Amino acid sequence: MLTSMRVTERSLADASMRGLQANLNRLGTLQQQLSSGRLISRPSDSPTGTIAAMQIRSDLRQLQQYGRNTDDGKGWLNSVDSALTASMDLVHQAREKALTGMSAGSSDQNARDALAAEVDRVRETLIGLANTNYLGRPVFGGTVTGTAAFDQNGVYVGDPGQVRRTVAPGIKVRVDSPAANTYGSGPTQLFTVLAQVSADLRGNPAALGGDLDQIDTATELMQSQLSDVGARYNQLVQLGQSASDRVIQLQSNLSDVEDIDVPQTIMELQLQQTAYQVALGATAKVIQPSLQDFLR
Amino acid sequence: MASNFSGLSTALTALTANRRGMDVSAQNIANANTEGYSRQRADLESLGGTAVPALWSTYRGPGDGVMVADINRLRDAFLDARNNAGHAGSGYLSNEQQLYGQLEQLVSEPGDQGLQAQLADMWGAWHDVGNNPGDLAARNALLQQATTITNSLNSRHDGLSSLFTATRDQLDAVVADVNATAAQIAQLNQAVVRASGGGVPANELADQRDKLVLHLADLTGATTLRQPNGGVDVLLGGAALVSGQTVRNLTVTGARALDNQVTSPVSLQWQDTGTPAVIPSGQVSSVLQTLTTTVPYYSDQLDQIAATLASTVNTQHAAGYDLSGTGGGAFFTGTTAGLIGVAITDPALVAAASTPGGNLDGGNADAMAGLATAAGGVDLAYRQLVANLGVTTASANQRAAIQTTVTQNAGAAVAAASGVSLDEEMTNMITYQRGYEAAARVVSTVDSMLGTLINMI
Repeated sequence: MLTSMRVTERSLADASMRGLQANLNRLGTLQQQLSSGRLISRPSDSPTGTIAAMQIRSDLRQLQQYGRNTDDGKGWLNSVDSALTASMDLVHQAREKALTGMSAGSSDQNARDALAAEVDRVRETLIGLANTNYLGRPVFGGTVTGTAAFDQNGVYVGDPGQVRRTVAPGIKVRVDSPAANTYGSGPTQLFTVLAQVSADLRGNPAALGGDLDQIDTATELMQSQLSDVGARYNQLVQLGQSASDRVIQLQSNLSDVEDIDVPQTIMELQLQQTAYQVALGATAKVIQPSLQDFLR
Repeated sequence: MASNFSGLSTALTALTANRRGMDVSAQNIANANTEGYSRQRADLESLGGTAVPALWSTYRGPGDGVMVADINRLRDAFLDARNNAGHAGSGYLSNEQQLYGQLEQLVSEPGDQGLQAQLADMWGAWHDVGNNPGDLAARNALLQQATTITNSLNSRHDGLSSLFTATRDQLDAVVADVNATAAQIAQLNQAVVRASGGGVPANELADQRDKLVLHLADLTGATTLRQPNGGVDVLLGGAALVSGQTVRNLTVTGARALDNQVTSPVSLQWQDTGTPAVIPSGQVSSVLQTLTTTVPYYSDQLDQIAATLASTVNTQHAAGYDLSGTGGGAFFTGTTAGLIGVAITDPALVAAASTPGGNLDGGNADAMAGLATAAGGVDLAYRQLVANLGVTTASANQRAAIQTTVTQNAGAAVAAASGVSLDEEMTNMITYQRGYEAAARVVSTVDSMLGTLINMI
């Protein structure tokens, strides 16, 4: 560019200064990238990269939240599961008592009274299990406030509300167990049936046959709820797994977008340093000689 | 036929002319590093010689020597104009680049401290409230998180406001500089015109004036019109800022704070007529644009973010029920970035439930958390704002870099035409030195010739 122009000491010095400045500027940019470890520190460094980074960061935060929601949901379903598993055993016990009472027939009132007392105890334990809490909330009580889903007489005090957890975009999983679908409702409700069994053991052994059918019905209901809970738990586990996989993937994406490639940047820095040294050397040489040096 | 002594006077003119040439070289060397100095040259002219050939004209000998006709400064008006235009562009673009740099700092994205991360944290906090609607700690955490967002919107608005105020002060200072520079140019115009009228070289004054004109171009993109008498008129968008020795002053009116910009916009006017001044380019133009367009635009954008946040959250909040079963009220107050705040202080009033009756339903909180990815949601709007700012800043940076090169090239061209080359001055110095020595030798030779003649008597 300067070839056809007059060249003066001043313009040489200016050009050298500009070159040095540009060199130093690039050196500064690389130094900043290397010391911060980040490729993008301002939106203008890469507008698209910035948007990607913001989007990824927000997705990450959301996925982490989904992970927390999933863990919470698993806690709920675990509580439901263990309560129901324990309940199944107890209901079997109650059924055996009823069966024993039925085969004993009307002869032995004392034995049947004892059996009835045992059924009452089982029923109390079952009500206790039906009031299982997770983090202070009854898992069979819907969205009720307080810690009880059933009162001590086995009457439902919860509400029909549902407890759901958002575990993936648009996917909400119910993590409580609806009492009506677990223990039945009305005259076929488990605790009413057990109360009936206890009463029939004491006073009307002939009706125990019908009671046994009702116990079986209630057991089936619990069984189906238990498998439902298992299915939902599996869903949570799978979604949780895919969410944590995605977190790792997104973290690496974020790093790709935002972070520097260290070896490459160090290489570039090295090259830039060399270029700067060359420029410094050239400047020192170019400005040196003048006609004065040769005038004697 | 010339006199015997004419050789002496011819040699004398050569001595004088060479000494003046040496003076000019000395002046050039002295000012080799002076900003705005243009190299000067002594224009030598031979004296006398043959008259115009005509019928009765007579031969008057070989001439009467040499004279310094003028001392010229070597300056290319076209290159000057190009340099001025380059500086005007640089003044505008570098100021713009600086402004966008400041705006980017205000946004502080991408990062874990940006508004985007805070929004994500708030939506997460809504999830937590949805998971544990009865937990006052989760509700409190949500209110804290929402307050963080409103605080950061407030502080960004404050940042824009103080940027506006600082820029407004800058405009005052720059316009004062423009007025002062224009006044100096008028004074120098007067001095130059008088000096050249009196036949005195006024090169140094003209250099000073051109330096000031360049400064004005940097500030306002002013163009010049050279007058035959040596003066320079300075024009701003066609209107004269300096005309010969008269100056028109500029004055700034309008808002000193961002909030008043709408009611009384900042404007730059001619002091005498009160009509708006057209500033084609330069720093003043960029500062003016910052005040009237850029900062208000981003302030509006930020207000829209705040309004979107407030309206989407408030609408969803009104659809829910709080801990006691009452319908949700407003969650945010205010619809501008400067005024937005969290309306709720009692954590129990957060409407997490989607069903009435004071139960522990978290459906509404869950739905609220879903706003994070909703179309027309605040996250998307905010990302668009940042993308927009990023692209604009990147292009401002690029244009500034290109303009810097253009300006540097124009400056280099001016320096090439007008800069002092020490080698050239050294060469001139030797030339004048030899010329002087030769003229002195002529004097001594003529002297010895005359001596020969006199000794004959």
